[in-house]
Amino acid sequence: MSYRIEPKYYEFYRSASIGRALMDSLDELIQDGLITPQLAFKVLMQFDRATTETLNRHVKFKTSLKGHLSTYRLCDDVWTFFVKNPSFKIEGGELVTADKVKIIAVKSEQATAAEAKTKPNQG
Amino acid sequence: MSYHGLSLPSSGPLVPQQRPPLQPPPVQQLTPPATEGAKTPAAPPTLEQQHITAVDGIVPTLQNIVATVNLDCRLDLKTIALHARNAEYNPKRFAAVIMRIREPKTTALIFASGKMVVTGAKSEDDSRLASRKYARIVQKLGFDTRFVDFKIQNIVGSCDVKFPIRLEGLAYSHGQFSSYEPELFPGLIYRMLKPKVVLLIFVSGKIVLTGAKVREEIYTAFNTIYTVLQEFKKP
Repeated sequence: MSYRIEPKYYEFYRSASIGRALMDSLDELIQDGLITPQLAFKVLMQFDRATTETLNRHVKFKTSLKGHLSTYRLCDDVWTFFVKNPSFKIEGGELVTADKVKIIAVKSEQATAAEAKTKPNQG
Repeated sequence: MSYHGLSLPSSGPLVPQQRPPLQPPPVQQLTPPATEGAKTPAAPPTLEQQHITAVDGIVPTLQNIVATVNLDCRLDLKTIALHARNAEYNPKRFAAVIMRIREPKTTALIFASGKMVVTGAKSEDDSRLASRKYARIVQKLGFDTRFVDFKIQNIVGSCDVKFPIRLEGLAYSHGQFSSYEPELFPGLIYRMLKPKVVLLIFVSGKIVLTGAKVREEIYTAFNTIYTVLQEFKKP
């Protein structure tokens, strides 16, 4: 019987350009027989952890977003927003615009932890 | 064939009164009870036709209409939440999908039983149109929905009589209907019995009317209270 360990960190940074580059490199290394798939898997887990924690703890940069919310969705604790004509005001005064942007928001560690704490009381 | 002396118009045999397809069930009939043999009502009667005239040019505006409808089909809420736009589903908080549309601007609560509550419409027609739109959205996601038992459950209206009101005096002389606890809520709660409508009356002269099933009840309630309020105008 095999136990699947719940990954503690979200995997969505793997699809960011830095994550994709890492996956490509790992694939290459596996194909060349330089590392095992198990090691590659470990590296990816470490990548998930490092990106989440770095963005959470070390990036203090703030930006505000304005635009027209064309569609939203909440399902399985994941919010999805499609914003038309967004304009991002980045700290320091820089303004970035686009035609549309898709935002995916998931629960943070703290929110998940807070929920776990309140649960026994709901009994 | 004789109608036993009843004086009926000669416009054909006694047929059950025909209703246009989009009309609500008989209890919902907005028109005053039609006399026998009356012609089928075409357009909704105007204020004058219903003998409801604006008093001093004030007619309450409808602010919210709540309606329920049965889609007569079990629904998988997760499928709906995943595929429909502008849907929220958080079963830990609330056992329904919350969905919104922009035209008419309304919100629907969609339950797994197939029952649906639609709120936020400003008119009966908008409420029905919105309900149909939600039913269509759910149908397009592959559910075999129908549209049964549409019923308007509550109508809320509001208006401004444009003069300040002595709530204490009103509460005292209409004690049977009034509840005025300024420490709990600044408005006077007036539970009118005929029509069965609840009114929130504020010192400022602003009035909220709620609990009506048809819009005429809002108008009648306002006209009834307006004469009373004039007695309690602040000097």
